[in-house]
Amino acid sequence: MLRAVTRTDAVLLDPTDAYPELRDVRARLAAGDWESVRRMLDEVSPVGRTMLIRYAGTVAESADDGVERLLREVLERDPTDAAAAAMLGTRLTDVGWRIRTQARAQDVSAEQFRQFREWLCAAEAVLIDGTARNPDDPALWTVRLPSARGLEVGLAEVRRRFDRVVPNHLPAQRQMLQQLCPKWSGSWELLHPWCHAQMLATPPGAPQGMLVAEGHIEHCFELPQGTRTDYLTSDSVRDELYEAANRSILHPEFGREFGWVQAVSTFAMVFSLIGDHRSAAAAFALLGELATEYPWDILGDPAEKVRHFRHEAQVGVR
Amino acid sequence: MIEQIEVDGVPALLAPSNGPAHAGLAFRVGFADEPLTRRGITHLIEHLALHSTGGADYHYNGATGVEYTYFHMQGSAAELGEFLASVCVSLSDLPMGRLATEKDLLQAEANGRNSGSAATMALWRHGARDYGMSSYPEWGLPAITEDDLRDWATRYFTRENAVLWLAGTDVPTGLRLDLPSGARRPLPGRSSALRQTPAWFGGSSGVLVWDAEVPRAARSAVFAGVLDRAMFRELRKEGGISYAAQAGYEPLGAGRAMVTAVADALPEMQGALLGGFVDVLAGLRVGRVDEAEVATVVRKRVEALLHAEEQGARLPGQALNLLVGRDVQSADAAVAELRAVGLAAVVEVAGEASASGLLMTPHERADWAGFTAAPDRSEAAVAGVDYASREQGGAHLIVGSEGVSIASERACVTVRFDGCAIVRAWPDGGRHLVGLDGLMVAVEPTLYEGADDVAERLDALVPAALRVDQPPRDPDRVPKPAPPPARDVAADVSERAYGILALFFRVPLTLLGLIVTVLMASTLTFDTEDVGLTIGIVLFCAGLTVYGGFGIRRSYRRYRGH
Repeated sequence: MLRAVTRTDAVLLDPTDAYPELRDVRARLAAGDWESVRRMLDEVSPVGRTMLIRYAGTVAESADDGVERLLREVLERDPTDAAAAAMLGTRLTDVGWRIRTQARAQDVSAEQFRQFREWLCAAEAVLIDGTARNPDDPALWTVRLPSARGLEVGLAEVRRRFDRVVPNHLPAQRQMLQQLCPKWSGSWELLHPWCHAQMLATPPGAPQGMLVAEGHIEHCFELPQGTRTDYLTSDSVRDELYEAANRSILHPEFGREFGWVQAVSTFAMVFSLIGDHRSAAAAFALLGELATEYPWDILGDPAEKVRHFRHEAQVGVR
Repeated sequence: MIEQIEVDGVPALLAPSNGPAHAGLAFRVGFADEPLTRRGITHLIEHLALHSTGGADYHYNGATGVEYTYFHMQGSAAELGEFLASVCVSLSDLPMGRLATEKDLLQAEANGRNSGSAATMALWRHGARDYGMSSYPEWGLPAITEDDLRDWATRYFTRENAVLWLAGTDVPTGLRLDLPSGARRPLPGRSSALRQTPAWFGGSSGVLVWDAEVPRAARSAVFAGVLDRAMFRELRKEGGISYAAQAGYEPLGAGRAMVTAVADALPEMQGALLGGFVDVLAGLRVGRVDEAEVATVVRKRVEALLHAEEQGARLPGQALNLLVGRDVQSADAAVAELRAVGLAAVVEVAGEASASGLLMTPHERADWAGFTAAPDRSEAAVAGVDYASREQGGAHLIVGSEGVSIASERACVTVRFDGCAIVRAWPDGGRHLVGLDGLMVAVEPTLYEGADDVAERLDALVPAALRVDQPPRDPDRVPKPAPPPARDVAADVSERAYGILALFFRVPLTLLGLIVTVLMASTLTFDTEDVGLTIGIVLFCAGLTVYGGFGIRRSYRRYRGH
């Protein structure tokens, strides 16, 4: 009894719960042991490497924790170190985005924008050099996507950068997805077919089906309240969502590679919103206690929302 | 083999040529020597000097450049002698009776000239002085007097400031170069309008242009070749971003050279063009260059050089070298210099070029790519009489004893009288002042409240030597304040009448477009020079024709009341 309660109530949103490597890489970085960080990065898959680099590069506690200095020292010793360049680029971009915040442009002050741009320019200086020396590094090109978005260099330039990343690189695809939203420089007409095509380009069981779900979530929450459920439950959207789920998280080949939690968590929310308890329960079963902040944070406090809908799905199935 | 001789006190280079004999007489004077108030004077002298040869039936031409002016012809030894003698006579005694006509001709030539997308680069790099002059139209023409011409010719078109080249077997017998005596004129200094490089400014033509100052050396030329190939590969072939992407190398004075890169793109691809170019340049700077790529460029340049040597085409360049104190370089030595260029040398030039670069973006900002904004405003406005704009949200015009400013809350542009390059003055009261830094203040009395006296006030303050009076402007070209938003006037014209009117213009314009398209397209089969330009014009005119065709259909339907 006690066990069941624990299982249904805990919501583990911290990505390090799903991928302990993330905690590990940050600890090694904090210890200033670049060699061991590099060893770790060299051993994981390209997607895992990008995720670790971006997680480690993101400001953990304070921007003044010595990480930037360490990474600059590494690059000074070896300017060709792609991982250090990508991590430093991430860090500078992240500081910039924290100043800007995720607010709509009209709610961001001129001074915030000025500083934001300054940080992104500093990031680009590192990243331009990094990609010049390592033209095939997927992590570097992935990091150049959010910097491009913030610098508002336009869709064509973001596409050019995206095209330099190896195909089916989920972290880059998710950045590109954001760019294709109308709030940046895209449109729904561009976004949905793109998500679908990106999914079809991967073998069945790959997590890329989540791009279709994420695209519809982005679209849904741009619509006026009251019409959102109608949108998600319309025949065409529904069909696309099930096709995507069956091709990814519900497929027998669906694995547990880096990114899998995000994929399942995204579908769990979509199914919850359209009231398909059975599919939602299947997704929550895959997740166990795990979940992700996005996209649940759109609804409110993510832990609370996950808990609520998870319970609803389990009750609904019973 | 180039032989160095002297003809009538003029240093001369003689070399055999496989082609027909040709000769050129060059002087160390060009746009860069002209003040803006006399901009066009060298070109005018070139035209006047060639006038007397106008009746002759042989191939000749003249050209005025940034640093040099030359007269060139191709023909028999006797014809060469006759031509050169005639040019020298004209230079010593310019046919002033032709002055007005030649000014008109130059004006017409300027109107028909396409200045190209790279034209504004010099202005941004140097301002309205010395090497910035090539950006400016021949604004000095209306002010140039006979005395100005004589002074200019006496100063620059002299025996000591000349050099001759002859491609043929011998010096034409009895060749005389009867030029006045003077002095060798050194190159002007190279002013900078940039506070920091690499710098950028936003263009308006949708084209990206980048240039950089590099040492005048084979390694720099090879760098330009490598850049050219990288741009073609990454912007055109693989990226599909640009149709015309290329880079070139041009010597500059005795020891410097300019590498210039130009690339176009469709409007929706311009952001990617900038990003792609930045990455191409960064790749070369960090040394991501293939050794084989360098070897290919060297081989191609050696081939071109040997071919040029055979044709006598290296002669003019070598002759111009003499004018700026560079020794003649034999083809063998030039080939050896090229072959010695390796990867490291190219990468070194890439670093230097990146640091000195000036970038004109198709439209967007380039701060993110490490470029500093080139100055496009002044630090302070002058104090003086303030005139408010008649336009909504317009800036103020301030006329003070030290200069003029146009100032808004956010920025100002000032031209100080002690840093002014020209004041163009129209009878209607319009006064355009250009500062030596290249910034311009257009004083248009029609645009400001109570500014009827502004021309008079300014004229009393501006040094007379800076003023160039312009012929009256077409009243339509005198600016008028933008009217407040009003209802659409076009709506008053009946649809039917508009249809007839539109047909009246559209039919001939469309036919013209069609004719130009067909004519230009047909030249493609035999005219191999400037194929890119020709194709561009053909496509443009074809587009006009198609657009016109649709327009005619629409107008006709409207006329018929459909």
